[in-house]
Amino acid sequence: MDRRDFFKTMLATPLLTPLILSSKKTTHDLELYLIAENPQLFLSTLLEKIQEYSSTGGRKFAFLNSHPNEKSIKKSLLQKGWRFVQEPVSTNLVLSFSHLHHKALPSFTLVREGRIWDIRSQKLFLLWREMNENHELSSCLTMVSFKNRPSNHLAGEFVSVYKEGRKLATLPLKENVKRSFKTQTGNITAHIRNGSAWVAESSCRHKICLHSPPVSLAGERIICAPNHFFLEIGRSSSIDTVIG
Amino acid sequence: MAKKFILLLLICALFICCGIEKKWHTSTLLVFDTLCQIRVFCSSSTFKTAKKEVNRIFTEIESRFSPDSEDYASPMVIDLYYRALHVYHDSDGCFDITVAPLTRLWGFLSKSYSVPTQDQIDSVLEQVGMEKIKENNGILLLPGMKLDWGAIAKGLAIDLASRSLIEVGISRGFINAGGDLYCWGKNPDNQDWNIGIEHPRTEGIFGILSISERGAATTGDYQRFFIRDGIRYHHIFDPRTGYPAPGKQSVTVCGPETLICDALSTALFVSKEPKKIMDKYPEYGAIIVDSEGNLSFMGKSYPFRPAE
Repeated sequence: MDRRDFFKTMLATPLLTPLILSSKKTTHDLELYLIAENPQLFLSTLLEKIQEYSSTGGRKFAFLNSHPNEKSIKKSLLQKGWRFVQEPVSTNLVLSFSHLHHKALPSFTLVREGRIWDIRSQKLFLLWREMNENHELSSCLTMVSFKNRPSNHLAGEFVSVYKEGRKLATLPLKENVKRSFKTQTGNITAHIRNGSAWVAESSCRHKICLHSPPVSLAGERIICAPNHFFLEIGRSSSIDTVIG
Repeated sequence: MAKKFILLLLICALFICCGIEKKWHTSTLLVFDTLCQIRVFCSSSTFKTAKKEVNRIFTEIESRFSPDSEDYASPMVIDLYYRALHVYHDSDGCFDITVAPLTRLWGFLSKSYSVPTQDQIDSVLEQVGMEKIKENNGILLLPGMKLDWGAIAKGLAIDLASRSLIEVGISRGFINAGGDLYCWGKNPDNQDWNIGIEHPRTEGIFGILSISERGAATTGDYQRFFIRDGIRYHHIFDPRTGYPAPGKQSVTVCGPETLICDALSTALFVSKEPKKIMDKYPEYGAIIVDSEGNLSFMGKSYPFRPAE
């Protein structure tokens, strides 16, 4: 398979393109977009292989929203030694579900630091080809975000909410609150719990912000481009810099 | 009178335009595959020179001490070799710049990680050990030997760059390249610099060092690692066994030279008798986080407070 075909197949689904573009703006180390009717068949193998190639630590996972295959995914990952946790904030591996507008060839796409990771020379490629050739079309998109280990980042103290570049509110991360804000397309709801913030509801089209894992470190953001809206974690710190 | 006032204003404006007014500047450069943060108090024109100078020094060190470099004879290389050899002897071989074949064997260079067999490790260990290096108009390596300057060259670059910035008249600032730093003068609040040390297991920091005119460096098992069958294998090798050194999560060393802090942090991470090493460096202090997450302090004491 030549380079062009490989990338063309991965980008065939119109929904993936905005997702991949948006991942450039996030601080996630790695993102996995898996199109498959039965993601549980592939997830544990994929995660094991990804851990071999990338120093994504931790073996805990959580769901950001409800997934139609949640039970079977949990079962397959637990069998492989992964631990399920209820709170997405306490893990660096978060799974979420999205329904594609059209059915597409089963495949997976890895995006590392905002760029598509070419896995053709890796063992993962065999799995990719097998999926692509032998399974039925699917509209089930499972997204897995590996949150980066923080480097030079400190735990945040508050979240600032901006719309059209104007600060709407500053909410302390210590308090567990849910606040809604009016936007161009309707409403967007920010949720703060246990020191982390995330978008719980949004009226935007692609819901990319909704699938962004919670943020908790100073400087981290969740962006909702259609609404010209973003959350940013901040801290009023007396620390000049961080080593480690 | 009015004319004089306007003239004065014009002169002030000219000075500001020429970038003579001193203020805090921050910049981030990508060097040694890591982000290098510079924060200094100077005029805009001096800051431009400072950035160029830091970039020049880091680029030179990076090319001279890259994993592919075959330069074993230039004065800078020989000088750093002797500095490394000194720490090698002081640490009973715990700090060793010949670990490159081990780093390659475990896949840390190619990022195709694998756990080697004991036979493979034993065979590679024959090419490890600074005592095997011969000196004759430069450094002579045995076939298969390779140098890994990674645990000392960044410290040297920071020392050279900060000295150079002080020489051009910058009296306050810091240079932080990943885990290594040098800071001098006072911070923007006119206090010593508050340096957070990253927590080896959770988000954020575990403590804050308050220092000035000092370097600091951290070595941790969380910086590069892979997990196989539930076991974490990191990139800090014990050159005597060929395996990742057990027993610690992170070591931070603080003292006059970043180069020594850099080398000592690796030596202490590997050593089972870190105090014995620290006794030889009375101007240096260490903060050690063991595998259970417990903190211990060694050598000279520097102001430290745990994070909230």
